[in-house]
Order: sequence, then structure tokens, then C-alpha cells
Amino acid sequence: MPVSYIEAIRTGLAEEMRRDERVYLIGEDIGIDGGAFKATQGLIEEFGPQRVIDSPLAEGIIVSSSIGAAMIGMRPVAEIQFVDFITPAMDAITQQAAKLRYRSAGTQTCPLTVRVCYGGGTGGGLYHSQTNTTWFAHEPGLIVVAPATVADAKGMLKASIRQDDPVLYFEHKRLYRTIKEDLPDGDDFIADLFHAAVRREGKDATLVTYGYMLQVALQSAEKVEQETGATIEVIDLRVLNPLDRDTILDSVAKTSRLCILQEDHRTLGIGSEISAIVAEDAFDCLDAPILRVAAPDVPAIPAAEPMEQFYMPNVEKTCAALHKLLQY
Amino acid sequence: MATKVKESAAVATTSSKNGGSLISDDKLKQLYATMLKCRLMEEKALGLKKMARFKGNYYAAVGQEAAVVGAAIDLRPEDAVAPSHRDFITNFVKGVPLDAMFSQLYGRVTSPDKGRCAPAHCGYAPLNIITPSSTIAAQLNIGTGIALANKMLKNDNIVVAFSGDGSTSLGFWHEALNFSAVHDLPIIFVCQNNLWAESVPIRLQTKVEDISLKAQAYGFPGITVDGNDVVAMYRVAHEAIQRARSGGGPTLIEAKTYRWYGHSSIDPAKYRAPEEVEAWKTKDPIAAMERYLTQRNLFTPAWKQQMIESFGKELDEAVDFAEKSPQVEPIECLDHVYSFDIRGRELDRKTRAPKYQK
Repeated sequence: MPVSYIEAIRTGLAEEMRRDERVYLIGEDIGIDGGAFKATQGLIEEFGPQRVIDSPLAEGIIVSSSIGAAMIGMRPVAEIQFVDFITPAMDAITQQAAKLRYRSAGTQTCPLTVRVCYGGGTGGGLYHSQTNTTWFAHEPGLIVVAPATVADAKGMLKASIRQDDPVLYFEHKRLYRTIKEDLPDGDDFIADLFHAAVRREGKDATLVTYGYMLQVALQSAEKVEQETGATIEVIDLRVLNPLDRDTILDSVAKTSRLCILQEDHRTLGIGSEISAIVAEDAFDCLDAPILRVAAPDVPAIPAAEPMEQFYMPNVEKTCAALHKLLQY
Repeated sequence: MATKVKESAAVATTSSKNGGSLISDDKLKQLYATMLKCRLMEEKALGLKKMARFKGNYYAAVGQEAAVVGAAIDLRPEDAVAPSHRDFITNFVKGVPLDAMFSQLYGRVTSPDKGRCAPAHCGYAPLNIITPSSTIAAQLNIGTGIALANKMLKNDNIVVAFSGDGSTSLGFWHEALNFSAVHDLPIIFVCQNNLWAESVPIRLQTKVEDISLKAQAYGFPGITVDGNDVVAMYRVAHEAIQRARSGGGPTLIEAKTYRWYGHSSIDPAKYRAPEEVEAWKTKDPIAAMERYLTQRNLFTPAWKQQMIESFGKELDEAVDFAEKSPQVEPIECLDHVYSFDIRGRELDRKTRAPKYQK
């Protein structure tokens, strides 16, 4: 039976909590209410309020208390209801979680998972739509993942919980109920946390993306092939930090053309880093300048639909970039 | 949940002296000896710093020994300490070997963090001392998480989290206290109010006279103690520790004290009036305890002299150990970023993604 992205998250959490009693959840509205998007619905009934903690409205302590608990052996899964509200936890994430292992020379560590709901295109406006993945992709010490498929939503979450590092797990709110997949049975279903995946084979250009934009990328690749016959290789980054350079470079070596599609705004987004990697390490392979399809450099996503549509990368914009890339 | 307990510094001091029989003579002597050793250690560190024998900055707690020693002397190895940037000596009180501590000052391979943190920022995993960061009050929140885990794991380990008056202005400080209160966590917040946050006086930091009052907002006891009276500190901490261990929840202890020197070893602290500094030096916690022990016939100058000599020798040995310890290898800069190695990834720019291990 096909399951949705959000069901995959819920069952992933439940399976890990059954498997390991050190796993607990903490966040705003995750208990009695089952989460703002119902990702944790039913878990407080099964595991009780000691393991599904309705936290005070304070993102800082949600993450920083998880760091301390993880230090002495717990496996916390903290939830940030919207990434737009993650800023009070920035010290906890970037100065504490990312640096604890380093500053203690590996003697103190914090294996925690922070589930972060992100992404636009739902009319959420400035503070319920952001894609701030880059803030964390820039921080060595953090693993940053952004599952784009249902299988990854579950498998990468379970892998994150078992990983001995702090993991930021970015879940796109627009994927929660829009994609469904059949999943393998059994609770040992774990996804790899370190490699990008080729979601569509192609030989004429490489399109690199992550998160909800994978849907846009796949549709764009399909459309361009129908229009031109050119085949586009679509890479789902899956992991934003540390980046899997090899999968990108291998693909560019094959296609000689690269486009990066990101929901984040343009400047110093993940596309900038990927462009630099390819320019440094695969310059000789390129037959065309690298292109980026990204949101404009405005502070956040406006709520009004015309402006939101202007802001969001989409199939039309991506196809235009791919045509330009192929015609160069 | 108990309501606010407020005890003036004078009362705390008097009661400690009247009721001193609750504390054994050996403990009283141990409190004194530990403070003296902390003082000797920090004067040694400052001397080495002045001679440029190690690099970086040092944050001395000279003058504040009673607050740290009284609060931490009875902790078990399993109890956690969350030190601030000025709490190097908490390591010694908790039992960290001097060789490790002086290697920390020198940033050598023998230091607990293998040369990563600033000299005074010493943590020690075997004794559950959180390696400090410099972002103020962050240690309280991590300590709160350890206390939460202790409660979940149903052990009776506790956390002592140190902070200063400046830290109380940060949101983190309040988030830690609030969360600890909501969950009745086994944690003691020791706020060393030394009246100055670097150059900013307490009157520009907070409107209230006593920082302990802030605990009232969160629904647990806050107590102001003469932080230069080690017996008072010990008694109040002892009670707070017992409450925490038995599931009674957090306590805020405000230790009113004073740092004799600048914020750091490069700060001449010209923002303070010399008269103020001299007045506080007459309230030296070590001299006060010396008088107290003398009254109780527990002190002789010969005992003190013997300690100064023998501990001085231990310090010299630790310095020697640190100075003879190897430097870290440059390449170690790339270590301990993740649970997996990144040397290969950084050096030849291949992905070298680790295999996932269940």
C-alpha cells in the first residue's frame, strides 16, 4: 500500500522509538496536538509524555536540551515547527551541536536529530515558507539532509537517529501529502546518509536539485525531452552537508552541462558551492556555462499568490534554463 | 514546589558560623585547602601567561574561589558540571589531573581537547565536565539537557551549571531556568555575581538588587549567598544538591562575589575604581576562611606553608609536563569534525563518503 511522505516520517519515528528506548521526541505541539502537520500524531498515546515532550515555546531550549541529553546517551529527535523559527536555536545548532565533538576532540558528542519543516509554495508567507538549508550546509560538524522521496523520508530519518552526529533533517511541507510510494517492509529499512542519487538518467545535461524541487526537476526533464529529444540527468542531492561531490562530477563528466535548481534564493545558495566545485574540478568537461534556477534575492517569500509564484522556481523557469543550457 | 527562599548574605554567613558543627572539621579544612590550591593554580597560570609561556587569553576567577569550591566540592564523578568561561578551577575541584589542566593551557596533545579551545576553556569527559564554549549561558542549556536525561534515565545524578551576572541578561539563561522548573530537573544554577560583566556594571545589567529573585519568576527557590563565605556556599549548595538528587527540582544560588583581576589576562580593568577592588580584597574568601579555621583551632601557619610548598611542587611538575608534551600535529586540525574521518575528503577533494553503519 502506498504511503505518504508524512506517514513515512511518523512510522519512522515510531519504529525507532520502539527499537531504542533512548529515542525521545521534543518540540512545540508535538504531543497532545500531534504536531502542526500531524507528523507525530498518535505517538504520545503510544509512548507517553515522557518520550513525546510538548516543549515550552522556545526553540533554543528544544535544541540545546537535546544536545545535553544526547551527550549522556539519549537519542533526541527535536522538532522545529517551521524553519522560519529556527533562529532562536542558532547558537545551539551552530555553536554547540556543530562544534561539541570538535571542541572536545571527540570526547563529547551529541547524536541528535533536528527535524525541520521548511519550504514554500503553500501561501504561508514570509515566516512559514523559508528554505534556510544553506545556513546549516555551511557548518562543518552538522549533517544536513533533505529527503525528496517517501522512501528517503523514512529511511533517512531512521538513519539520522542512529547516526553518531548531529543531523538536521529538512522535511518539505509541500511533500507531506502530495507524494506517495510503496515502501519496503520491516523496520531495518535504512537509507544511506551520505550519497546523492541519480533519479533520472540522461546524457545531455545534468540537473542537480533537492527537496520538493525534485518534483519540478523531474517534470522539467520530461518536458524538455519531449520538446527536444535531449535527455536530462536529474540528481537528487539528498545530503546538503557534507556534499557528495563525486556523484555530481561523474554526471557532469558524462553530460558536460550543468544546471542547479534550488528553492533557496540565489546568492551563496547550495548552487553556488556546486558551481564552484564543478568549475574547480571539472572545468575541462564543461561545454556550457553553469546555470542556476533559484529564487530571487529578496528577504523571504511574499504571501500574495502572484508574488509567491514569481518567487518560486517552477517547471517553466527550469525548462527555460535547460533550453538555454542545451542551445549554448 | 517550594516558594522563594531568600536569605541575606549576612544571615547566611552568621548561620553558617553558628551552625558550623553540621560540617565536619575535615570538610572545613578541605574547603580551605581546595580554595588555596585554586588560588595558587590561577596565580601560577597568570604568571606563566605574563611570561608568554602559553598563548591565548586566560580568564581568572581569583577572588571567587569560595563560590566554585563550595558548590562543587561534594559532586560525584557522575554528576555533570557546566562551566562558564571563568570556571577553569571547577576542573580541579572535580578532580581533573593537573597534567591535563596545564596541558590545556599550553594547547598540547595531552590536553583534553587536543589544543582546540582557549586556554581557560577546559572540559573533561571522564568527569562529566562540559567542554565550554565562549557563547555566554549556552552551558546552562546543555546542562539542562543532561539533567533532563538524568531524570529520564531515573538515576540520581545532578548537574551544577555555573554562570555570571552578565549571562542573566541573555534569553538562554531564562530558557534554561524555565525548562528546568517545568520538568523539576536535577540542576543547580550557580550564578557568580561578581558585579561586572567585562566592563559593564551590574546596574546596567539588571534592575533587581538580587539575581536570586529571578528564580521566583520560574517557581523554584532562589537564594543569595555571600559568595566569599565558603561555609555559607557549601551549606546552601549542600541543601540544593540534596533537593536535586531527591527529585525536588532546581535551585538558583546567587553568589555575590568579586573578581580581583580583569575580565581576561589582557584586560587592565580600568573601568573599576581602585577603592572598590581594594575593598573587596579585604573580603578575600581564603583569608576569611583562615580566620574561621583559626577560631576553631583547625588552622596553623605551618599547615598552610606545607600545602603551599607541596602543591607548588605539584604545579611545577604539571607545568613541566605540559611544556614537555608534544604539540599537536597540524593535520589534526581536520579531526573530530564528524564521527567519520574527513582527512581524505579535505586533502584530495573526493567525496569519500563513509559507508553507513547500523
